Amino acid sequence: MTWIGEDDSAAVDVVVNGRPTAMRVPARRTLADALRDDGLTGTHLGCEHGVCGACTVLLDGRPVRSCLTLAVQAEGADVETVEGMAEGPELHVLQRAFHENGALQCGFCTPGFLMLALGLLRAEPEAPPERVREVLTSNLCRCTGGGPIVQAVLAAQRELAGDVA
Amino acid sequence: MKPPPFAYARAESLEHALTLLDEAGEDAKVLAGGQSLVPLLAYRLARPTHLIDIGRLPGLDTMRSDDTGLVVGGLVRHHELERSAVLTGPWQVLREAAGLIGHHPIRIRGTFAGSLAHADPAAELPVAATALDASFTVRSTGGDRVIPAAEFFVGPFMTVLEPAEIVVDGRFPAPPAGLRSAFAEFSPRAGDFAFVAVAVAVALDDGGRVRHARIVLGCVGALPLRAGEAEDELMGSALTEQAIDAAARAAAAGCDPVDGPHASATFRRELVAVLVGRTLRRLREDHP
Amino acid sequence: MTRVRGLVGADVERLADLPLLTGAARYVADVHRDGEVHARIVRSQVAHARIVGIDTADAEAVPGVLAVITADDLPDVRIPIRLPLADTPRARRVLQPPLARGVVRYVGEPIAVVVATDAYVAEDAAELVDVDLDDLDVVAEVATAADPGMPVLHPDLGDNIVSSYPLHHGDVDAAFARADVVVRERLRMHRHTAVPMETRGAIAEVDPATGRLTLWGGAKVKHAVRAALGEMLSMEPADIRIVEVNVGGGFGVRGEAYPEDYLVAFLALRLRRPVKWIEDRTEHFVATNHAREQEHELEIAATADGRLLAFRDRAWCDQGAYARSQGTLPELLPALHLPGPYRWEAFALETTGVLTNRTPVGTYRGPGMTEAAFVRERLLDVLAGRLGLDPAELRRRNLIRDDDLPFTWSLGAGSAPVPPISYQSGAFCSSFETLLERAGYDELRREAATRSGDTISVGVGVATYVEVGAMGPFEDARIAPAADGSFVVHVGVASLGQGVETVLAQIAGDELGVPMDRLRVDHHDTDAVPMGFGAFASRSTPVAGNAVLLAARDLRTKAAKLLGAEPDDVEFRDGHVHGPGGASCPVQDVGEGRGRFDKPHPTFSFGAALSVVEVERDTGRVRVVRHVVVHDVGRAVNPALVRGQLAGAASQGIGAALLEELSYDERAQPMATTLGDYRLPSAGELPDIEVIVLEHPAPGNPLGAKGAGESGMVGTPAAVANAVADALGATGPQVTTLPLTADRVRALLREAT
Repeated sequence: MTWIGEDDSAAVDVVVNGRPTAMRVPARRTLADALRDDGLTGTHLGCEHGVCGACTVLLDGRPVRSCLTLAVQAEGADVETVEGMAEGPELHVLQRAFHENGALQCGFCTPGFLMLALGLLRAEPEAPPERVREVLTSNLCRCTGGGPIVQAVLAAQRELAGDVA
Repeated sequence: MKPPPFAYARAESLEHALTLLDEAGEDAKVLAGGQSLVPLLAYRLARPTHLIDIGRLPGLDTMRSDDTGLVVGGLVRHHELERSAVLTGPWQVLREAAGLIGHHPIRIRGTFAGSLAHADPAAELPVAATALDASFTVRSTGGDRVIPAAEFFVGPFMTVLEPAEIVVDGRFPAPPAGLRSAFAEFSPRAGDFAFVAVAVAVALDDGGRVRHARIVLGCVGALPLRAGEAEDELMGSALTEQAIDAAARAAAAGCDPVDGPHASATFRRELVAVLVGRTLRRLREDHP
Repeated sequence: MTRVRGLVGADVERLADLPLLTGAARYVADVHRDGEVHARIVRSQVAHARIVGIDTADAEAVPGVLAVITADDLPDVRIPIRLPLADTPRARRVLQPPLARGVVRYVGEPIAVVVATDAYVAEDAAELVDVDLDDLDVVAEVATAADPGMPVLHPDLGDNIVSSYPLHHGDVDAAFARADVVVRERLRMHRHTAVPMETRGAIAEVDPATGRLTLWGGAKVKHAVRAALGEMLSMEPADIRIVEVNVGGGFGVRGEAYPEDYLVAFLALRLRRPVKWIEDRTEHFVATNHAREQEHELEIAATADGRLLAFRDRAWCDQGAYARSQGTLPELLPALHLPGPYRWEAFALETTGVLTNRTPVGTYRGPGMTEAAFVRERLLDVLAGRLGLDPAELRRRNLIRDDDLPFTWSLGAGSAPVPPISYQSGAFCSSFETLLERAGYDELRREAATRSGDTISVGVGVATYVEVGAMGPFEDARIAPAADGSFVVHVGVASLGQGVETVLAQIAGDELGVPMDRLRVDHHDTDAVPMGFGAFASRSTPVAGNAVLLAARDLRTKAAKLLGAEPDDVEFRDGHVHGPGGASCPVQDVGEGRGRFDKPHPTFSFGAALSVVEVERDTGRVRVVRHVVVHDVGRAVNPALVRGQLAGAASQGIGAALLEELSYDERAQPMATTLGDYRLPSAGELPDIEVIVLEHPAPGNPLGAKGAGESGMVGTPAAVANAVADALGATGPQVTTLPLTADRVRALLREAT
């Protein structure tokens, strides 16, 4: 591979929510902007400096800030966004738990929290409550303060554990 | 808050990366995890002409330890350090420091070498590495240099790294027998940049007296600060309350933090004493 | 025939969650119009300077740049004041132009706009606009802003005073002369603000066929923004359409008319292309309204047995560099709230709005009342300490008694004209007792004493307040039946994430006797809903909710008339109205139900907060370990949503008390322009908030509702401050300012030793 000039676009091949996708993006475009340009506007930009977490997506299964990741860095990677969470009309356990636990009001931070929690529960399905709370401090929710989000994730974790057993 | 324009190339090997760096000239930057660099781009505080992406180069993302010491590859991610089963006993300080870097998603992406090369005075790993007498292997097309931590950092966001050099790994020498280490910091919220960070490493002799001590402070100066007088207070002591208090006081007295809008110099100095005291007590209590 | 009831008062599921959970929701940044271009604002980097020249040539030369405009390209217009009660001749002389004219007065003030085909390119080009500035001296703090000799921000005003609100009740001097104890303190509430997770944004487009302008990104007060844009653009309001899409939190700051709303509209008209502007986070911290900063010189007179006699207060309330759409509210609202829920014999207060070279100030959740509660409740605890009385007991002895309501403060000669400060209903004493009892106050006090030691000090704090809400003047609602048997409720409110659609649908559903899935609330578009006052001052449920209720009753009455039946005997089912004896007709034959609810005076409601904190003595770190809020909401249409509002507001109040601060240096440079420096609390810094919802119905409105969206905020900073002060010891240093960061708490502890 050689240089992509500052005015050039790069071809980036990624798998987004299971679908192989060829993006053409300038080198400086963030993964968040590239996804949003691709119509996946569920990934929100709340700060663009890596603090709020509204842009959290899964990159190769792990939660990352898509505002702090350049699209070109995602070449060959598997990207999951909130749009891929529900299976058709069937909401994911986490999505239902958020709804049932008052874990969202304005909804702007919700996709980022859902992806953060999804990454956590996949990697650490038995994470103790303190660990769940610690990881959830990664993102900010101005409406609820975050407590109901912790409760929702713990509820989803219990339900997922029950399904396995 | 969109990054300014730059040219970009993804390196296929370390050698390729070094060639690209040579080509790109002195305003190029190496991109690994990007967790420090991309925010600077968003603020437009960094304006590199070229980015060379080494984020997924093979071979730099492993750790190994044997009786000659520990080697941490430059691309080892913070979350791997944080959860590593290897990093106990003498190396514990690395694990604890990594676990306090930013938040979980930042630790998923951020790299060991990236943190060192960025040299943020509030960063954890430079402080921890200094406490373990680490050296860093840096490579250019001209060959390798091994630079001790004490010489590597020269100012806020400044190192002796040349534009065409890449940090390849960190080398931690075989520790003195019985070395134990710990890390602590004070930050206003979980995941914030710390107001003060402290790394300590202590080894006792057979009589239970300190024969090796490192106390290194972060966030109180331009670079990681060895608290030499505090270490002297510990040497030869049996980690008694009095010795720990003396070391904590000496560490606070020996640093010169600046007044900032979010933390006064007086406050930071107090925190130095508190955290040095806490980490030393923790070492004593974890291994009586 | 019985009607389906039970929606009002039930924890009905929120209607609008599904798109929010799946990423399908559309916020303003997600709106795309064909051919859209991107605006980037060039902002002042200095706080006060004369503009010597602006060179836009380099920016214009960047490929992809369509236009660069400065104030010279605009007509000489100002953003008007929205509320008549906050509109004064002096305030009108300090209104903000959309782009700085000749002088910049705060860091972040818009100077120029660059429009380009891509947001990245617009940002590149904006950096190339060269602004030549000649620095002026700055006014950087509120306490001295009005002093003689300070630089004057707006020379034709003569000084830096926007307006003053003096209020007098009773004979203050006589009351102070009788006092056994007088406490006085200079108390300061710091600058902080709402910081919703979504920044502001707007996209404007002109229909080439009709010349009509559409602006997406409306929120809160769409109709007022339409009127403001009409005035500034010299267009008929009917030719402007404001559309509200999903809104990522408002809390008072989003949705007012801002410079950028005008600028994108102006540019869309000029360029004949859709123009989009999305605020970035560092802009947000200097561009969107700030709030709260005030200094008070407060003194309270009391008898030795703890009876409050009178208070005097002199307050300086920061307006920032201009008056914006909310006019004099930053000084008016604290004046209304300083007396609070206590039986003062007399008081004399004067709040003064002053100008400083900092971002303009507007309203943030619980405006004026949160500041007033902080200074009053803090000084009451100082008084309790002086008298050796338990702080709860001091309040218990002085709260307005339940049977004293309704209660109206009579204001004496020389008082400013203000809305009546009138407490129509509630039960202040018993509500406060409920809080103490449910929280286990006496036990908490004992625990605090036993758990406090060398490393941790535990403190308990309480605060009470009254809160103005349910502001008028009125709201209209219209309910239109559809052929499929569903009903659309048209009403001019705004959804900011608080769940208003759900609540209004519950009210309509209950009255019509139809289930939730048959109801839709339409409030998004000023074309579909031509009139409305919006979402502020906790007014959506008590004002719009009652309008919806009346519209539903109207529909029922009309249907009954059509069938020759009594209103209570008709049933809406399967797209038809059914009367007794099998009579029925298609529901569309009934036409529409219409309702208007007039609200000439706002409603005051009572609430209180209790906080338990742990102070780590060696680091100064404060942790709120329990936080309980109580509020009389009149009637909770959806208790779960009310609890969510109260808990969310209290969470923000804890952030304000401990972490958040928009500080400035002596050159009036902002010190917090990122989410790293402006510290919002996360789940790691907050306890699970406990909420007690009380219902003492408001007279004069069929629902009995009083409003709840702001209440959890109002007493929270005061309660946290009192708890920290308690932890530090009644005889220790006084807590007189916020936030209680670890640094400040350590400074207080140092002072004490």
